[in-house]
Amino acid sequence: MIINANSTTNRTLILIDEYINLLKKGVNSEKILVLVQNSKKKNEFINLIKEKFDFGNIGNLKIYSFFGLVYNYVNENWALIENSIKDTKNVKILPNLCGLEVSQYIFKNCINEVDFTGYNSKTSLLHQLLRRYSLINFNALDKKEIKLRENILKESYSNEAREAINKYKLKTIEKRAFDYIRQINLFEYLYKNLKNEFEYVFLDDGDEIIPALLEYLKYIKKDIKEFFIGYDSNGSSRLGYLGAINVDFEEFLGEKAHKITTIDKKTKNALKILNSIKNDELIELENIEQRTFLRRDEMLDDVINEIKNLINQGVKYSDISIITPLCDEFLKSSLEKSGFEFNFISKSEKLNQNRLIGYILEFLKIINDTNNSDISPYCLKGILMELIGLRGASALQFIQEYKIKRELEDKNLFELIKEKKEEDFKKLYEIYEKIRFQKLSFQLCEIITNYIPLNKEISKDIIKINQLLKQIYDFEEVFDDEVGINELINQIENTIISENPLSDDEIEENSIVVSSIQKIIDYSHKTKYQFMLDINNEGWLKQDIGPLYNAWVMQKSWKKESFELEDNMELTKDRSARMLYKAYLLADKIYLYSSSYDSLGLENFSGIDKFYKFDSKIENSTLQKPIIPRQDQKAVFDYNGGLMSVSATAGSGKTTVMLLLIEKILSKEILNNEEIGEIEPKNIFVLTFMESAARNFKERIKQRYPQLKELPNISTIHGLALRIIKENNNYSRLGLDYDFEIIDEIKRTSLLNEILYTLGIQNDKLNLYDSAISTYKSELAKYGDYNCSNKLFLKVFNLYQAKLKESNLIDYDDLLFLSLKLLKENSDILEYYQNLAKIIIEDEAQDSSFIQQSLITFLSGKYNNVIRCGDINQAITSTFTNSDVEGFREFMKKSKNVEMNRCQRCATGILDCANNVVKFANNKNFNPFSTLIMKPVEGVNIVDKNAVKLNIFEKENEEIDFVINKIKNILSKDNKASCAILLRSNFAIARWEQLLKDKKIKTYCKSDAFINNPVFKICLLILEYIIEPYDIKKVKTLIEELFKLKKYDIATLEYVKNINTPLFLCQNYDEQFFWDMNYFLYKNHYSIYNLVYEIGNFYFKNTKQEVNISLVATIAQKIRLNQKSFENTVKKLREIQFRSNFSNIKLFNDDKNDESREQTVQIMTLHKSKGDEFDYVFIPELSQDNMCFNIDEYKLKENSKFNQKIKKIPLDDLSLKKEIIEENFRLMYVGITRAKKKLFISASNSYKIYNKVRPSKNSEFFEGMESII
Amino acid sequence: MKKIDTFSANSLKLLDKSVLEFENKYLYNLSIMKKDKRAILGQKFHNLICFYIKNFDVSKLILNLTQDEQKSWQKLKDYLKDKKDDFIKTEYSFLIKEKLNSKPYFLTGRFDAVYKKDGFYVIYDWKTLNIPKNPKDDLQSIVYLFCANKIFKTEKIKLKYLSIEKLDSFEIPFINPDYYKEKLDKIILKHFIK
Repeated sequence: MIINANSTTNRTLILIDEYINLLKKGVNSEKILVLVQNSKKKNEFINLIKEKFDFGNIGNLKIYSFFGLVYNYVNENWALIENSIKDTKNVKILPNLCGLEVSQYIFKNCINEVDFTGYNSKTSLLHQLLRRYSLINFNALDKKEIKLRENILKESYSNEAREAINKYKLKTIEKRAFDYIRQINLFEYLYKNLKNEFEYVFLDDGDEIIPALLEYLKYIKKDIKEFFIGYDSNGSSRLGYLGAINVDFEEFLGEKAHKITTIDKKTKNALKILNSIKNDELIELENIEQRTFLRRDEMLDDVINEIKNLINQGVKYSDISIITPLCDEFLKSSLEKSGFEFNFISKSEKLNQNRLIGYILEFLKIINDTNNSDISPYCLKGILMELIGLRGASALQFIQEYKIKRELEDKNLFELIKEKKEEDFKKLYEIYEKIRFQKLSFQLCEIITNYIPLNKEISKDIIKINQLLKQIYDFEEVFDDEVGINELINQIENTIISENPLSDDEIEENSIVVSSIQKIIDYSHKTKYQFMLDINNEGWLKQDIGPLYNAWVMQKSWKKESFELEDNMELTKDRSARMLYKAYLLADKIYLYSSSYDSLGLENFSGIDKFYKFDSKIENSTLQKPIIPRQDQKAVFDYNGGLMSVSATAGSGKTTVMLLLIEKILSKEILNNEEIGEIEPKNIFVLTFMESAARNFKERIKQRYPQLKELPNISTIHGLALRIIKENNNYSRLGLDYDFEIIDEIKRTSLLNEILYTLGIQNDKLNLYDSAISTYKSELAKYGDYNCSNKLFLKVFNLYQAKLKESNLIDYDDLLFLSLKLLKENSDILEYYQNLAKIIIEDEAQDSSFIQQSLITFLSGKYNNVIRCGDINQAITSTFTNSDVEGFREFMKKSKNVEMNRCQRCATGILDCANNVVKFANNKNFNPFSTLIMKPVEGVNIVDKNAVKLNIFEKENEEIDFVINKIKNILSKDNKASCAILLRSNFAIARWEQLLKDKKIKTYCKSDAFINNPVFKICLLILEYIIEPYDIKKVKTLIEELFKLKKYDIATLEYVKNINTPLFLCQNYDEQFFWDMNYFLYKNHYSIYNLVYEIGNFYFKNTKQEVNISLVATIAQKIRLNQKSFENTVKKLREIQFRSNFSNIKLFNDDKNDESREQTVQIMTLHKSKGDEFDYVFIPELSQDNMCFNIDEYKLKENSKFNQKIKKIPLDDLSLKKEIIEENFRLMYVGITRAKKKLFISASNSYKIYNKVRPSKNSEFFEGMESII
Repeated sequence: MKKIDTFSANSLKLLDKSVLEFENKYLYNLSIMKKDKRAILGQKFHNLICFYIKNFDVSKLILNLTQDEQKSWQKLKDYLKDKKDDFIKTEYSFLIKEKLNSKPYFLTGRFDAVYKKDGFYVIYDWKTLNIPKNPKDDLQSIVYLFCANKIFKTEKIKLKYLSIEKLDSFEIPFINPDYYKEKLDKIILKHFIK
C-alpha cells in the first residue's frame, strides 16, 4: 500500500489502522517493522496505537526512526561485528555507540596525521570532512561511486580526504566507538549477514528517507509480505546535505499510490508556493502579512507587538511559532524580555552556552587545575553564588581576600577555603577533597548531588546536565584515562552538538517555539500563526557545498557528468520550494518579516525573499513631501539610460537628487522602456563610499517610502563584493570555505607584526608594509601577472597571504579582487549579476578605485546603465587609498555629463573663497580641480561678502584665545549654532579638545571610535566596576558619565562623589544608583553577551542607541571567545576603545540628530569633515607644515615613497609631490565648503613643538588668497 | 496536570514509595543519569547471555572480562548450556493496555529471557545485584507475572530471578491476575487521583 498525501491529511492514521488490523489478524508485532522520521514521530505513532488498540497485550513493538533501528540492530547483534574484527586487544561486549562529540575528537586527531598542504581552511577542515563522510554514509556510496564524484568535481583534496576518513574509520574500529553515522556501515554489514526477521514494513514520511535506508528496504524487499508507505511526493525537505532522496515508491513496489487530495486553505497555499518557486513565478502575497524594517531590533519589536496583540485576542502561546535561521543571542534576549514563554530549539549549540553548565565546567576546571593559576575572580563569584549558594557580599569579600592573598602570599584557592570556618566553606573543602583525584563523571555527579536541587525550575538545565554526563561517560568509556580531565573539559567546551538524531528536543507545552524551518518541519509542529523572520537572510538557503563536500553531487541519484552554478541554484531552489511548502502546511496564517541589517549591522541578502512578489511601485500621491528639483538639478532627470556622470559641487543637494532618481526609476518616470522591462528595487544598485552613507541612504528611503517592501541594493563596494562572493555558494569557486572571515584591523596588525618580527624588520615599519600590501593588491588587479621587484616586500606579502589562507581569512582588498575574479572567470556568475543590475548609481565617484570601476563595468555589461555622481574637487583620498580620480575623469569624457554647480549651503563670501582656491591653484600651475565654478542659489544662500576671516597671529596662544573667544561669543548668541574646528591631523584633536574643555566648552570629537558611543562607554565602565567593586574611583567616573547622559540626577552624582567606602558596602537603600549597581554586581551572567545586553537594555532601551546594544554585546562576546577570562575580556574591550571596527562590527552613530550635540563644538580632521556642514567653521594652525602648496618646500614622507616603489609604474618624486599638493588644494576646498555662515582660517607665526616655541611658516594659502582678492 | 499513563516495574516502585519523587522523575524528568561499575558489569553479562542464547560465538567477547568475571561466566554458561535451546525469547519488550476506573493505562518492561519447556513458561531475570528481599511481593514480580499472563495467555508461568555471579535463584509461581491487578491499581491510583 502506498499513500501519497501531505501532512494535513489522515495519512498516518490510515497507516495506524492498517497496523492494528494486522495485529488483530494475529500477526506478531515483532514481525512488523515501523519506520518513522524521528523520535518525536515515533512517540506519536506509539501513542496513537496505544489509543486505538483494545485492551490486552499490544506486543513487542518494533517502531523506530531509521537511526534508532540501526542503533538497536548494532547493539543486539554486536557479537557478529566484534568477531569480524581482527584485533583482540580492545574487545568489547558492549560497543561504544557514542555521540558525535567523541567521533569529532577522534576525527580531529586523525586529520592532524594527514597533510592537507595548501588547504585554506584549517579551522573548518573537521567540519568539512564530517559533512563529506556523513554524505558518503547517508548515500551509501561505495568506493567506485565516490571516485566518480571526485572526478566530476575535479577535487584537489580527494586523496587527503580519503586518507583522513580511512584513518578515522580504522580508529573507530580500534576504539569500538561508533557514532550514528558510522553505525550505518555496521548496520549494512549486519543485515547482509543475518536473516531478516520482518514480514511487514510500515514507512511514514517516506519522502524524507536517506538512500542508506532505501538500500536496506531494497535488500529485505524479497522477504516482505507487504509494505505500507506514506509519503508526500511534494515533500523531501531534507534534500541536500541532510541526505534525503526523492524515491519513486510506485516504481519501487510496482503498484499505484493512493493519492489523497485535500482542498483546504493550507494545502492550496502550500501548493501555490511550491509551484510558483518551481516555475520561477514570484509568489503573490495572499493570507500573508509582510513587513520590512531597516534594523533587526525594529523588526523584533514589531514581532513582539504583534504577538502581544494575538495573545490579547486570546491566542495561546502554543498557537504561535517563530521560524528563523538566525536563532542567536540577540533574538533570544530580545524575545525573552517580552515576558512570553519561549521554547528555543537550537540547531546546534555548545553545552556551556547553558549558564549552569558553564559554572559547573568552570568549577571542574578549578578543581582539576593543580596550580590554581588562572582563576577568574568574576567567574569564582558566579560559582560561589550560583552553585555553592553564598550571598553576594560574602562572595565578594572572600574574593577580595583571595585576590590579595594570591598576589602577596601566592596562596592557593583551596588552601584559603580550608582555613575558613563557615559551614559553606567547610562543606566545599570536604567535597573538594573527596573528588579531586576521581574521574570527571564522578566529580560531576558529586557536584550535582551536593549543589543542584532537582526541581522543576531547572528542568531545562537538567536535560543539558544529562547531555553533559552522557558526553563524559562516552569519553571515559572510549578513552578511559587516555584523555586527561582538563583536555576533556576543553573538548566539551568546544564541541558543538549538532544534527544529532539522538538528541531529543522536547517541544514544551504552552510556549512559543522558536526554531529553524527544518526542525518545525521535522517535528510537524502545527500552529495557527507562523512568524518567518529574517526572510532576506542567506541562512534560509542552506549551504550544501564546501571545498570538501558537495551534497548534490554526492547524492546517490546524481547522474550528470559535471556540476554547474545553475545546478546548484536549481537544486537549492527546488529544496527551498519543498521546505516552504511543508512549512506552509503547518500554519493557518503566515507573517513574513525582514530587516535590511542583521543584528551585527551587516547587510542581509539572498534569502527566500527573492521568491516573493513585493509591492515595489512608488506612487507620487503617497509621498508626504514631493521633492521638486532645482533648475540645475533638472538635467539629471532627463536620463534615459546609458552612461551619465553627475558633477555635483559641495552643498548642491546630491543625495536628494539621487533619492529622487531612485524614486523616478521606481515610479517609471524615467528608464521606462521595453528593452529594460520592469525595474524592481533589486535591479537598482547604489554604491556609496562609506558604510554610514549607505545606512543613511537606506534610512532616508525607508522614511520616505515606508510602504516599499523591498529596498534597492545600497551598499559600499565592499558590501557588494561580499555579496558576490557569498551568494549562491560562489566562494566555493574560489576555494574558500563558507565560514571564511574578513580580517579586521586588529588581527591584521598582529599578523603583520608577527611577520615583520619573523623577518627581522623593525615594527615601526608596520604602517609602510600595511599600506604597501594594499597598493600591491590593487596593482595586481590592474596588471595581472605583475611581480614587484622589492624582494623583502614580496617576502612579507607572500607570508601575509599564506597566513590569511591558512586561517580561512581574506582582507578588504581581496574582497574586491576576488569578487572581480569571480565575475571575470565565471560567465554564469557574471550573467546572473548582469541580469540583475539594470541600473548602477555610484556616489562619491571621485574616490572610486580602479577595481571598483572595473566591477561597475562588468556588472553593467548587459544593460549599460550607469550613473556616477562625484566631485573631482573633493577627491581627498587618493594619497592614502587606491582611489583613482583619473578613472572618473575618463568616465566623464565618455558619458553624458550633467553639472550641478549650485551650492545652497555656504554664504556667498565662503563660495567666493572656495572658487578662489581654484584660481589660486591655477595661478600656481597646479591642476587639481575640475572646471566647475560654484554658484549660489538665488534667494537661498546667505549674502555675506565678509563671511571668511583670515587671521595670522604672532603667537600660538593668541590664535587659541581668538578661536575660543569667538566660539564662546557665537554660542552665547545662538545656542543652536553648530561649530566645528577642522584640523590637519588626528594628533591635534586631543590637544584642542583639552584646550576647549579647560575653558568649559563642551566638545565632541567626530570619530567612530567605540568609546565615543555611550552604550560602549557605559557598558565598559560597569564591567570594570563589576571586576573592581572596591575601586571607589571607578564608580565615581561611572556616575559622572551616567549623569551626563541624564540617567541620574545631580543629587545622586553628589552622593556618589562623596562616598569613601566601596559602593556595595554603603548600604544606602534610598539611592536608586546603589540598587542598580548592586543588581549588576550580583547578577551572575555566565555569558558576557547577556550581561552587556542587560546593562545596555537597562540604560538605552527605547533610545536612538538601542541598536548598538546587541552590537556592543556581540563585540564583548567575540572577544570573550579568545580570552581566558572575563577580566581579560574587559581589559581587551578597554584596549579597543579607540577602534571603530572590531571583527567587522561597526556601531551605528547618529551624530546629526543627536540632541546632546547642542552647545557643543565638534573637533575633527579636515578629511573627516567631508559630507558634514556647520554654521561656523574654524580652520586653525594652517602652517606650511600642515598645508603646503609649495613644491620646493614639500618633503616627501617615507610612507609615500615606499608605496611608489611597490607600483609597476612608480611616480618620480616631483610628480608625487605634485599629486600630494594637488590633494592639499582639494582638502582646503573641502574644509572651506563645510561652513554655512562664517569661516575662520588662522595661523600663528610660532608654535610650541616638543616643548619649545619655534618659528613657523604660514601656509602659502594666506598669500595666495590675498593676491587673488 | 499532565498524567503518566505508562508504567514500568521501576516507576511503580518509585510511585509506591513517593508520588512526588515519581512525578519528579517521570513527569518532569528531574533525574540524573548515573552509571556505576556494577550496572555496567550487569549490562555486559546481560549481553553475553543474550548473544550466547542467540548462538553467537562469544569466545572472543569474554576476553573483555577480568579473570574472576570469566570464571563467573564459565559457571553461568555451564548452567545455561542444556537450557539454551529452550529459550524462546531474549530481551523481550512488552506493552499491555489495562484500565482503571475506565481510564486506560499501560504496563511496559522487558523480560531478559523467556524459557519454555513442557508448556510451562519461565520468565528469567538476571540479577547482578541481590535478588529482591521479598521477591513474591516485589513489584517487578507482580508486573512481570501479570503481563506474562496477558502475553502468553496461560497461568503456567513462573518468574525466576537468577544471580549471575552466585547462580542463586528464586522462583515465583503465578497466583492469579486479579490479585496482581488489585495491587497494581492501588499504586497507580495514587498518581491518577492526585
